[in-house]
Amino acid sequence: MKSRIQSLTLITLVFSFLFLSIAACSTGPEEPSTLIYGLTLAPTGIDPHLNASSELGIPLHSVYDTLVFLNPDTGKFVPGLADNWTISPDGLTYTFTLRRDVIFHDGTPFNAQAVLANLDRIRDPDNHSQKAVFMLGPLEEVEIIDDYTVAIHLSEPYAPLLDSLSDVYLGMASPTAFETWGPAEYQFHQVGTGPYRLVEYIPNDRLTLDRNPDYAWAPSIYLQPQADIENIIFRFYEDSSTRALALESGEIDIIGEVPPHDATRLSVDADFTLYPVSIPGQPMQFFFNTQLPPTDDAIVRRALIHAVDRSYAVNTVFGVYSVVAHSPFSASAFNLESQDLILDYDPTRAEALLEATGWTAEDGDGIRSKNNIPLELRIVSPPWGSNSEIAQLIRADWETIGARVILEVAPGFGPLKQAQTQGEYHAIGINFFGTDPDLLRSFFSSNGLYNWTGFADPEQDQLLLQAAQTSLDPEERLRLYQQFVSDVQEEALLLPIRFYVNLIVANKRVEGLHFSAQGWYPILIDLRITH
Amino acid sequence: MRRDLPALLSAVWLFIVCMVSITAPMISNGSPYQPVAEPLTPPSQHNILGTDALGRDVWTRMVYGARLNPGASLLATAITVVIGGFSGLIAASISGWLDRTIMWITNAMLAIPGLLLAMLFVAAMGPGLPTVILAVGFGGAPGFARLARTIFHQFRERGYVTAAVALGAGRSWVAQHHILPNAQSQLLSLATTHFAWAFMGTTTLTFLGLAGDPSIPEWGAMLNTGRAHLIDAPWLALFPGLAISLTILAVQSLGARLANSEDD
Amino acid sequence: MEGLLTAWAAVSLTFFALRVVAGDPVASLLSQGLASPEQVESLRRSLGLDAPLLIQYLRFLRGFLRGDLGVSLYTGRPVSVVIAEQLPATIVLALTGLSLAIFFGLCLGVTAAWKEHSAAGRLAARVAGLATALPVAFTGVISLLLYRYILQFFPSISIIASRRLLLPATVLGFASAGAIARVVQAGLVESMRSPYMLAARARGIGRGVRLLWHALRPALPPATSLSALEAAYLFAGTVVTETVFSRPGLGRLLVNSILQGDYPIAQGVVALAALFYTASHIIADILAFLIDPRLRRTA
Repeated sequence: MKSRIQSLTLITLVFSFLFLSIAACSTGPEEPSTLIYGLTLAPTGIDPHLNASSELGIPLHSVYDTLVFLNPDTGKFVPGLADNWTISPDGLTYTFTLRRDVIFHDGTPFNAQAVLANLDRIRDPDNHSQKAVFMLGPLEEVEIIDDYTVAIHLSEPYAPLLDSLSDVYLGMASPTAFETWGPAEYQFHQVGTGPYRLVEYIPNDRLTLDRNPDYAWAPSIYLQPQADIENIIFRFYEDSSTRALALESGEIDIIGEVPPHDATRLSVDADFTLYPVSIPGQPMQFFFNTQLPPTDDAIVRRALIHAVDRSYAVNTVFGVYSVVAHSPFSASAFNLESQDLILDYDPTRAEALLEATGWTAEDGDGIRSKNNIPLELRIVSPPWGSNSEIAQLIRADWETIGARVILEVAPGFGPLKQAQTQGEYHAIGINFFGTDPDLLRSFFSSNGLYNWTGFADPEQDQLLLQAAQTSLDPEERLRLYQQFVSDVQEEALLLPIRFYVNLIVANKRVEGLHFSAQGWYPILIDLRITH
Repeated sequence: MRRDLPALLSAVWLFIVCMVSITAPMISNGSPYQPVAEPLTPPSQHNILGTDALGRDVWTRMVYGARLNPGASLLATAITVVIGGFSGLIAASISGWLDRTIMWITNAMLAIPGLLLAMLFVAAMGPGLPTVILAVGFGGAPGFARLARTIFHQFRERGYVTAAVALGAGRSWVAQHHILPNAQSQLLSLATTHFAWAFMGTTTLTFLGLAGDPSIPEWGAMLNTGRAHLIDAPWLALFPGLAISLTILAVQSLGARLANSEDD
Repeated sequence: MEGLLTAWAAVSLTFFALRVVAGDPVASLLSQGLASPEQVESLRRSLGLDAPLLIQYLRFLRGFLRGDLGVSLYTGRPVSVVIAEQLPATIVLALTGLSLAIFFGLCLGVTAAWKEHSAAGRLAARVAGLATALPVAFTGVISLLLYRYILQFFPSISIIASRRLLLPATVLGFASAGAIARVVQAGLVESMRSPYMLAARARGIGRGVRLLWHALRPALPPATSLSALEAAYLFAGTVVTETVFSRPGLGRLLVNSILQGDYPIAQGVVALAALFYTASHIIADILAFLIDPRLRRTA
């Protein structure tokens, strides 16, 4: 009996120490050619054809190649899987000549049939593509001319097509793989032609990439012909407060979306380098609901914009790295910022505008009302990227001018969309990233998928459509968008906050870090580790 | 006297929390939602507990939290006591199949740890502070029911209850006039101990972000957001964390003192 | 047998709580605009939601027995697969936490009993008391803070004390150590006063040997059963720990699925916890039986 108790105690102790030693070993120094990359969001799905998360492209941009690539410095398109391409004078047909030497990671050859299979998969209504299908615009037919020539026919001109085809969402996947696995499981078994292969994806835990030794078709935006680092492991750090700590303790080599105060501290640290990268697309923004009083009144909307101290908000939440945004879109080739109609912080003016529209604070409780209806505003904020911090400051500023404010943070895209569908909001946050301003059409056309303002104006619809169809004259296109932006500012449809600046911090041992034109995606093939 | 010192300190702390919550608008620095100074100002003369990442006064938010937190836990405890106490009383005064059924359901619910049971309710009803209160109230009920039943049972065995039953008193009459009044002090001590659990439960759920509104001046939510600035502004997490811990410790040691005084 | 009944009741509870309180899980997809009315109809049929509640319940039970917990509302992936992915991380954390809890519990309990009347003993008892009272959210934050300061002076600590496992496990173990320490201490104090200990003392056996060799024995069975039960509560503790330390695992999965309204996943995790709890009860009984000779004799 005595021996049993002794052995039990012993076993307990041995187990404790065993665990301690395992714990110690598992965090020992990694192999030299392994890089650990921190991701900041664990997306619900990472199939680029079907899902919409920006995070998925960080690893997958290097798993897939696209027909063309966008050069981040010149804003021009360069050959990718397509050697060259022509656009018909009416802008309706794009003909691509494909490379003949490309094979997928699983050995499947890349050819015109593969392009067709990919575009069919994206357009299959049963697959419910959240983003890629919309990027294809008015695509009518994909025609195989020969094994290595493919033509895309459009029903109307669509200027953003090449831009779409340069993004990872339209990356070319192996038809063998997505037919084997089906839409729900393919994301765990993705096969592309890129410099890295997907080895394993465990949601919320890790994603592993392996170097593709057969890669021999690097586009000109890649500096090296082949990848240097053997393995890249991606781990998830959704909690922004743990990112700096993970870098400092050596758990990871690179991570983005580092909180500004941590980024400032690490930027002066001898062991780390800070890379602030501007992300093209929409700014962080809150749309006003033009279908629900009191934000159905443009003057009230102007008052609400004047009421918010955006420089304080941006400075407080994003530090010195960002400035206040005044337009609904920004990209290197499309600077749409116009100084004419900026609605600056001016609480006195905001209160005067409210008084003028009949919202007065006479009953002494500090809350304005009109016809005995109190000025009540409901903000719905997404949970990601400091939206909720900004929303808290907006709430504070609106309370100062006599509104009662309810703030609700939707915990994910699903609940956010649900709140939007129910329509019980005055301001709601959502923004997408992208390099082409046609993105704006789905937000500001009357029948746009993301027309969350509820605003409908046939002239505006026409303007956006015309801009989308101006395929061959970039300067005219830019002018149309500038016209559109001044219309939007006139109507005060949204409260723009700031354009995204991704604060990426890397260990000094990592060299060669640069990013694709979309801003989010690191060019993994060019990364090196120094010893 | 030495034995009473922890209890005395606990009472003092709880008294302070009560006073602060009653006088909140008077002793605070304006609204808990408004920025008042530079973000992340360390504790100073003007902002005695410093400011948070959005420039709001931490003292003001703590003071309003002193209303929210104990209030939420009291409500949750009340729900637990009513549901748990009632089913315990029924089970204890009516033996037989009803007793067995109630206790069986109670035991089944106890197979799910209280906190997870509460989270199950939040899952069903959606996030928000009212949901959190209800969930913690329901989540604690099975455990409370079992303990309450044991207490009621003790009294049922007493001579005067047996006598009353022998004289032909009905079950509900016995429950109302003999068991309940006599068990009151023990129930009170049980409820006190349970309050500590409810307090821990509500702050844990709000800490997990289940309260919905991130700007809510609630200690658990503040502890959660404070984690983002552990290095450059540790006071953001420390003050709410300390307030939560002190309150739980105080209630527990008062509960223990109450239980001891009954043994004496 | 009773354990099985309890497990069945608890699992049923998760079914009814979600289905009755939360209503139709597919309807929320419709209101989120994630599916068209026709798709919702077909999804409802494929999920069997058009059947009466009782039939649905029986199907749910049948599925549960086969390890089929339904599919996630958002990703369409089987809940059992999603849980299986996150399970290892939580098991590693919980087992490491439990080992540490037993270790801390024994240390604190023995110290508190051994030095009963000295400052060290009182300190140990006080620490054990604190361990049960302090919320994991707070001790977790404090430990991260300490870790950060220590890291500044001893950068190599990151290799020994991994922030991913050892630190969270310590916080988790500390929370459960208090209860174990109390049981150990109470058992030790009681058995030190027993006649056979007096006899051992009369034979001239030193106090330390007496305490560790003779008195610990009768104190172990309750401590062992308690440890098995604590394992179940540890599971609840991992929910908070995983959030504080940003570790993947079932706790994070549960919180995220609640926030997103993905009921099948929340239901699966809670049902699993109930099974786990029931299993720990049975293990606790078996352990007590193995260790305590008196129980074996009566059986």
